[in-house]
Amino acid sequence: MRVTRRIMRRRFALLLLCLVLVVALLVVRLAYLQIWRAPWLQQQAAALHRRSIPVRGVRGTIFDREGDTLVYTASAPSVIAIPAQVKDKEGTAQALAGILKMPEDRVLTLLRKRTLMVYIAPGGRRISDAQVNAIRSLNLPGIYITEEGKRAYPFGALAAQVLGITGSDNQGITGVEKEYDNVLSGQPGYIEFMANARGERMPGSGEQFVPPTDGEDIQLTIDGQIQQFVEREIERAVAEYNPDHVTAIVEDPKTGAILAMANYPSFDPAHWQDYPQQTYNRNLAIWQTFEPGSTFKIVTLSTALEENKVRLDDRFYDPGYYEVAGHRIKCWKVGGHGSQSFLNVVENSCNPGFIALGERLGKEALFSYIKKFGFGSKTGIDLPGEGNGILFRLSKVGPLELATTAFGQGVSVTPIQQVMAMGAIANGGLLMEPYVVADFRNHDTGQVTYVRQPTVVRRVVSAQTAAQVRQALESVVARGTGRNAYLPGYRVAGKTGTAQVAKNGRYEAGHYIVSFIGMAPANDPKLVAYVAIDHPRPKSGVVFGGVIAAPIVGRILGDSLHYLGVPASNTGIPRKRSWNEPAQVEVPNFVGLTIGDAQREAVESGAPLRTQVTGTGKYVVWQAPQAGSLVDESSTVRLYLGNQPPARDTLDG
Amino acid sequence: MVRGRHAMDLVILAVTLLLLTFGVVMVHSASSVLSMQKFHDPYYYLKRQLLWAGLGVAAMWAMSNYDYHNLRRWAPRLAVFSFALLVVVLIPGVGVNRNGSQAWLGIGSFGVQPSELAKLALVLFLAHYLADAGERMHSFARGFLPPLLLALGAVGLIMLEPDLGQSVVIMGTTVVMLFAAGARLGHLSALGGLGLAGFAALVAEDPERISRITSFLDPWSDPRGSGYQIIQSLYAIGSGGMLGLGLGNSRQKYLYLPEPQTDFIYSILSEELGFLGAATVLALFAVLVWRGFRTAIFAPDEFGALLAAGITGMIAVQMVINVGVVTGSIPATGVTLPFISYGGSSLTLMLTGVGILLNISKQTGAAAR
Repeated sequence: MRVTRRIMRRRFALLLLCLVLVVALLVVRLAYLQIWRAPWLQQQAAALHRRSIPVRGVRGTIFDREGDTLVYTASAPSVIAIPAQVKDKEGTAQALAGILKMPEDRVLTLLRKRTLMVYIAPGGRRISDAQVNAIRSLNLPGIYITEEGKRAYPFGALAAQVLGITGSDNQGITGVEKEYDNVLSGQPGYIEFMANARGERMPGSGEQFVPPTDGEDIQLTIDGQIQQFVEREIERAVAEYNPDHVTAIVEDPKTGAILAMANYPSFDPAHWQDYPQQTYNRNLAIWQTFEPGSTFKIVTLSTALEENKVRLDDRFYDPGYYEVAGHRIKCWKVGGHGSQSFLNVVENSCNPGFIALGERLGKEALFSYIKKFGFGSKTGIDLPGEGNGILFRLSKVGPLELATTAFGQGVSVTPIQQVMAMGAIANGGLLMEPYVVADFRNHDTGQVTYVRQPTVVRRVVSAQTAAQVRQALESVVARGTGRNAYLPGYRVAGKTGTAQVAKNGRYEAGHYIVSFIGMAPANDPKLVAYVAIDHPRPKSGVVFGGVIAAPIVGRILGDSLHYLGVPASNTGIPRKRSWNEPAQVEVPNFVGLTIGDAQREAVESGAPLRTQVTGTGKYVVWQAPQAGSLVDESSTVRLYLGNQPPARDTLDG
Repeated sequence: MVRGRHAMDLVILAVTLLLLTFGVVMVHSASSVLSMQKFHDPYYYLKRQLLWAGLGVAAMWAMSNYDYHNLRRWAPRLAVFSFALLVVVLIPGVGVNRNGSQAWLGIGSFGVQPSELAKLALVLFLAHYLADAGERMHSFARGFLPPLLLALGAVGLIMLEPDLGQSVVIMGTTVVMLFAAGARLGHLSALGGLGLAGFAALVAEDPERISRITSFLDPWSDPRGSGYQIIQSLYAIGSGGMLGLGLGNSRQKYLYLPEPQTDFIYSILSEELGFLGAATVLALFAVLVWRGFRTAIFAPDEFGALLAAGITGMIAVQMVINVGVVTGSIPATGVTLPFISYGGSSLTLMLTGVGILLNISKQTGAAAR
C-alpha cells in the first residue's frame, strides 16, 4: 500500500506540472492573440462592425468656352432607408406612404427587406423640396434623404459626343464625362455607424457623417455657338445627301484647342439608352479611320517644299496618267491637265503631279514626314476611344505604294489627325496636341484650379514652307477644286478630298467619303475646319469633295469668323469665275453721303450696281451690303435714309 | 496516518468563488444583447445563472460538510443511476434536443444534462474502484481494462446524443485518473494510440467534424461556414488587447458570436477585460489545479486522493479544452468553461465537485498543514 501511495504522489505532482505547463501555453497563446495579433484582429473586427452608406457629392458642371452651361447636375433628393434601423415599420411606412404618394404595403415591403440600405422607389426618388421638408420634420429613425443628382442638358443634344454620358450612378461612361470622371465626381462621403450582426446600429455608438466633396466644374474649349453652326451644317448635309456618317471638327490652330466637334448620327445624352450602342459609344471624329484621299496631298506638298524638291512655279505635264512600275495610274480628269505649273497641280488636285512629287521625295522622306505630321499614332486628345490609323510598313512600300500614298490612298487616318496636320500648316509648322478641356473650376467658388496649356508636339515644317502651302491652298479655294468654299471677304485656304471606301479589299462601287479641310484667314489662320461625309447620296450631280464638302466648310468658316469678330479683308486671291458666273464688284461706301451724291457715286464708281432707297431723309445712314463687300455685277444695294448724317464712328461699320 | 479534522482549504474556496463571480458578471455582460433580442429581457440569463449559482453554492457547502468517505457507499448506485439517465435522455420525446444534440432532460428552460452528472458520477466511481486496485493496476485485464470499459460505455451513450465535447472531457478525466492510480505507462500509451484512432474514426464518420478540424487549422478558408465561430472568437479576443474594451463594451456579443454566454464566454471575457483579465482567469484556474492536487497528495487515503485528483483533473481538462477551442489552439469541441459559462447542471455539479474537494481538504494529513 505504501508503495502505491508513493507512486500516486509522484504522479499527482507530474500531472500538476503538466497542467500548469498547459495553462502557461494557453497564456502564451492568449498573449500572441491579444498583444501581437491584436492590431490586425481589431482592424478586421472593426471592418466587420462598420457599415457605411456612400453619399455622393454634386457632379461638376461642364461649361463651353463662353461659360454657357452644357451639362449640370440637377437636384434630385431621394429617400433611402436602413431597414434594420427602422423599428416601427408599420408606422414609418404609413408616414412615408402619405408623403410620397405610394401604396403603404409597397413601402412596408421595402422596409422589411433584409438589406443594408434600400431606396424607397419609385415614389421616393427625385422628390420635391416640400416632400423633403415633410420627411425631415418627422425625424424618422433609419430614414435618410440622399442627393442623387441627375445630369441635365440645357442645350439638348449639342456636343453630345464630346460631353459623353453618365450611368445610373452618375459615373462617366464616354466622352469628357469619362475622361475627367475623377475631376467631375469629386470625393464621395458616407454615413458610417457600428452595426450588430443584423445591421442594426449598436446602442451607444453614434453615427458619423463625412460629407462628400463636390466635383470640380470643367470649362471646355468647345464654343457653343460654333458647335451650333457645325451641327446645323451637318443637319443640312444629312437632309440633302442622306449619308451614312458625317464628321466635322473646328480647331484653333494656334493652340490645338477644339472649338467644335460633331458627328452624324448623334444622340440625346439625356436619353442615351434609346440609341444604338455605337452611336453613343463612338466619337467618329477621333475613332473612325479611312482613306483621306486628296486632303492628304497637303502632306506630300509640304514635304516636297520643305525638302526643296519642288518650286510651285516648276512646270509639269500631265498626259492623264502616270506610269509607275508598269502600271498606269490615271488622273481623275480624263485626258489629263496637260502642261501646268505645280501650283496648278495643287489647284487641280492632279494625281500624276503628286505621284511625281512622291517619286522625287522617295519613300523614307515621305513616310518620315507623314509620321511627323502625326499620322499613324494617336494625337493624344483628352477624349476616350481615339483611333490610331494605319500606315504602310516602310519595308513593304514599293513604287506603287509610294505613288498611291502621295495622293492619299492606301493610308488610313482619323479626322482629328487630318485636322491637327492642317493645323500645323496653319500655325506656321507646329504640330499641336488637340484638347477639349480648357480648365477646372471649384464648383462652389468658381475659382480656377487648373488651366490647360497648349502643348506643342513637334515642329513639322518651317514657317516659310507652311506659308507657301497656305498660299497654294488659298489658290485651291480661289481658283481650283475648292472653289465652293470661297468666302467673299475672308481668305480661305483648303483642300478637297474624295476617297473610295474599301470593303473586303476592294473599292466599293458608289461608296465615297468626300471631305474638305480648310482654314481662314489664309495669311494668319484663326480656324481650321474639317468636314467628311461618308457615302453621300445626292439627288443629282457628282459625288465630289469640292461640290459637297467644300461649301459646308465655307459656311462654317464664314459664320464662325464673323461670330468671332475676325475683320474681313479683300487682300486675298480673287476668286476665279466660271464661265457662267457673273463678275464681282466691290461695294463702295455710301454712308454719310447725301442721297444725290450716293446715286451719282453708284454710277461713277464704275461698279454696275443698282440702288434701292428705304426711308426718307437727306443722308444715307446705313447700307446693305456693307462697303467693301464683293457682290455680283448688277446687284442691288439698299440705302437707308435719315435726316442727320450718322456719327463718325458708326461710319466704319 | 493521523486522521483529524481541521479547516478546509480556503484558497480553493476563495478561487472558486472568485471564478464564480467572474462568471456571473460575464454571463450578464455577454448575454444581455442576445437575451434582449430573444426574450426582451436583458436579465433573462443573469437571473437564471444567479439561481443556479445559489443552488451550486448550497450544494458545495453541503458537500464540504459531508464526510467524503460516506460517498463510497453511494458510488456504484450513483453510477448506475447516471447511466440510466444517459439512456433515458436518448428516448425521443423524453430528452430535449438543442442545437442538434439530444442532451437535455427537464421542463422548459430549466434543463439538466445527464452527461454532467455522469461525469461526476464516473469520477466518484473510478476513485472508489481504483482506490482498492493497488497491485491490480499492473494487470491490463483485471486492473486497467474494467474502469476504461466503464468510461467508454458512458462515452458511447453520450456520443449517441451526440456530444463530442463531454465525451472528450470524460476520456481526458479518465486518463488522468488512470495515470494517477498508477496505471502502467505502456497501457496508457496504447490507450492514447487507440484513442487517436478512435477519434479519427469518429471524425471520419461525421463530415461536420472534419470541417471543424480543418477550420481550426485555417478558419479563414471558410469564413462564413465552419470557420465562422472561431474567426468571431478571435476577433473578440484580439479586440481586447492588453486592457480590454471595458466591462460591458464587447462588440462581438452583438450577435456576431453565437451563444456568447456559454461556450464562447471566454472570448467575450477576453474582449472586455483584455489580456490582463483573461490571464488572471487562467491564473486562478492554475491556482485551483495546484490546490486540488495538493489536496490529493495530502489526502488521508487512496480514495480521497484519487477523488481529489479526479475532480481537479475534470475541472482542468474541461477548462483547457474550452480555452483551447476559443483561442483557436485546438479543434472546436463544445464544452463550457467551468464556473464561468452559463449553464445550470454544469455549474451546480462543478460546485458540488468543489464541495467534495473541500471536504477532502479538511481531512488532509499533518504534513499538509
